[in-house]
Amino acid sequence: MDYPKLDKVRRSAVPLQLDVVEAFAAGRLSRREFIQRATVLGLSTGAIGMVLAACSSASPSASGAAGGTTGGTIRIASQKPVSVDPVAMQDLGGYGITAQSFEFLCTLNSKGTDIAPGLALKWTPNADGTVWTFDLRQNVKWHDGTAFTADDVVATMERLVKAGNSGLKGVLPPGGAVAKDPNTVVFTLSGGNGNFPYLVSVFNAQTLITPKAYVAGTTLDKVPAGTGAWKLKTYNQQTGATFERNPDWWGGKTPLDGLQFIFFDATGPMVTAYQGQQVDAIVQFDVLSGKSLLTDPNFSIIATEAALHRQIWMRCDTGQFKDKRVRQALAYTFDRPALIQQLFQGKAQLGNDHVIWQGYPYFDASVPQRAQDIAKAKSLLAAAGVTNLTADLHAGQLLEIPDLATLLKSQAQQAGITLNVKVESLDTFYGAQWCPKTPADPPCSGAAELGIVDYGHRATPDVYLNAALKSKGIWNSSQYSSAAFDDAFTQFQTSVGVDAQKAACTKIETILNEDTPIGLPYFYNYLAGNSKKFTGVYSSALGQMIFSAASKTA
Amino acid sequence: MARFISRRLLLSLITIWLLATIVFVIANVLPNDVGRTILGPFAPQESVDALNQQLGTDRPLIVQYLDSMRRVVTFDYGTSYVTGQEVLPQLAEAMLRSSKLAGLALLLTIPAAIAAGLYAARRRDRPVDRGIVLLGVTSSSIPEFVTGTILVVIVGVQLGWLPVLATPPPDADILTQVRYLLMPATAMAIVYFGYIARMTRAGTIDVLQSDYTRTATMKGLTTGQTMRRHVLRNALIPTVAVIAVQVGYLFGGIIAVEKIFNYNGMGQTMLFAAQRKDIPMLTAGAIIIGIVYMLATLAADMTMAWMNPRIRLDAER
Repeated sequence: MDYPKLDKVRRSAVPLQLDVVEAFAAGRLSRREFIQRATVLGLSTGAIGMVLAACSSASPSASGAAGGTTGGTIRIASQKPVSVDPVAMQDLGGYGITAQSFEFLCTLNSKGTDIAPGLALKWTPNADGTVWTFDLRQNVKWHDGTAFTADDVVATMERLVKAGNSGLKGVLPPGGAVAKDPNTVVFTLSGGNGNFPYLVSVFNAQTLITPKAYVAGTTLDKVPAGTGAWKLKTYNQQTGATFERNPDWWGGKTPLDGLQFIFFDATGPMVTAYQGQQVDAIVQFDVLSGKSLLTDPNFSIIATEAALHRQIWMRCDTGQFKDKRVRQALAYTFDRPALIQQLFQGKAQLGNDHVIWQGYPYFDASVPQRAQDIAKAKSLLAAAGVTNLTADLHAGQLLEIPDLATLLKSQAQQAGITLNVKVESLDTFYGAQWCPKTPADPPCSGAAELGIVDYGHRATPDVYLNAALKSKGIWNSSQYSSAAFDDAFTQFQTSVGVDAQKAACTKIETILNEDTPIGLPYFYNYLAGNSKKFTGVYSSALGQMIFSAASKTA
Repeated sequence: MARFISRRLLLSLITIWLLATIVFVIANVLPNDVGRTILGPFAPQESVDALNQQLGTDRPLIVQYLDSMRRVVTFDYGTSYVTGQEVLPQLAEAMLRSSKLAGLALLLTIPAAIAAGLYAARRRDRPVDRGIVLLGVTSSSIPEFVTGTILVVIVGVQLGWLPVLATPPPDADILTQVRYLLMPATAMAIVYFGYIARMTRAGTIDVLQSDYTRTATMKGLTTGQTMRRHVLRNALIPTVAVIAVQVGYLFGGIIAVEKIFNYNGMGQTMLFAAQRKDIPMLTAGAIIIGIVYMLATLAADMTMAWMNPRIRLDAER
């Protein structure tokens, strides 16, 4: 340990930053977790490097893709966007298009896993995380040549708050963003929040910074604008979009001349188009329809580890799964490694029947991993006095879910549990099985007793915890209600320090694993990729593929 | 003839009204929450309710129906529930793309199929006739999505002769557009070749056996003269009817081919609208496809009436 170096950082850090530095120095955070947390809390790259150097002999990794040639256009297969209104869009297709022209305060790091400085160079919280100061990048211009200022950020935030952005709701009040000067914005939050930079980042896709003159409802195709690397040239909602290089981009000259997006309604034709050499990159594909890509030696897979998962909900308030031993028994029948191999060819991580994904810095790996144990499942059922358990397992027709249901059925059979798989269209499934509109109080109290529902990636687990598991949560189809869990969740929400968040997560993981209101067998990777004719492409788990550093391979 | 056409037009208007009503009923009878479908299962209920109010989908059904009929009459379909863009320009683009694909498919099919049907009829029961009949039955038995997939794999991916996507790059010239459309058009042409060839063959055989053909031959006309003056005009009447039906289908019902080749014609546009409960788009699309059917049928009726005046007289009676 190089204490003089460490002390230098300690002296300049604010309390929350100091908390992270001390946690890393004491070995309570891994290197990866430290970098993630320190970046979120606005510790400068130099300071992070100094802490890493002080605490180990390793030096910060140098980034940069292999060199390529300049010029050319990359053809990208993308989902057809429903909307390119930056404030109101709700689909991955829209996220991917708008993120080419507009930028976030906190952008995506080149590994696609966490945030990095974008339009904001630095962000610093006050002692309790209620006030965040963002220093903006200077000399940034909009595509029309006008200067980007703090007023644009304030106006964007006001639009988002007014529109009820799901990430900012309850966090940033109206008028909470104020321009201190043209290059500084101060956010005064409704309460302390250690994750705020994530909420104005690529992980909250609507928080793209738009010009002050933009009004709610303005779409990128109608009023092309942005500060980003690419200027929208043509857009047709049915067929595709083209972008050309922004010569005035603050990041410098992009190696490629332009982008050509081709829109698709399904993954299968995207894969065929790649095989027919009509596209060079695919924004997202699934293992089932993109199996051939996984073994294609000319295709670079971008497998972004993500919190994408399926929840197998079990009703805790009524029916055959009311006794937690029955729920645990079903969870003990899951052969998780086999599911991951068969459904994702290994491109997923183990789930442990709770929603704290391994990638979150506050994940606690010490909670024992549940594994298949048929004998234990049988003994739990016997202890609960249940014999010949037979239940309908409801599932929507989406990606691998029907196959998951079939595999779960065969695994449960080993413990004498009979699951009747009922696969329905998504509309019917969501409306009739997962969360019927009535009875409305408590929400989802009309849900089936057993089913599989899909959840997308979130940069923090708040939505999973708040909506799906908290008492009377709006998507609580298992009707789980636990005072201990609710308290642990409140503790997590109000924690701003790493140790405190991790302590709350330990409780959450333990409680959920024990109570088992949901089975959660895996978190699967977001899959994208590109032809090896190109290099330097990376992607988030939300459909935003980044091409600013992409080039043709030499 | 004017009376014949006006009767047909009147019937067409009634059919379009019925069509609009059926589309409205289907769109509203099925489990339906437009706001929920657009915003997705995870959107808060208050947002869903606000969107339904904004779109007017929370109004009584009768009010929505009358509004829908007003839009049909005034040809004002408003904006898409999903994209927020004007419905008609989007459909016009999709229609133009469908027209190109359907036009090329018909161009490939009709001359070849009619020629094959006539050739087979004149060589009835000979090996060549049996070969054409077998080819026709086989080609029309294989669905176009199977033919399309096989073409994509072999011609597009393995041989790399033609593009696997049907949408050409922006500003592509006509030859490039034809190159992009050739594979899906061929997939469709293979199926329709069988129908049209067999219909032409059957009609021609029927006419070749008729008394007036025998009379024409006996009075000394050459085979060519007999075919042109007496056979073709009568033999092709059922073929014209079949082609008219196929034209309507080609414009609106080729979802599978459009999906395989990622071509955004009317089929994909309508499917996209149906999946998202985009009722304005769905209604306008159904009406437009209905109009295409009407026009194709009307054109066929007029052609048949011109070819055989007895048809016109029967209709006028």
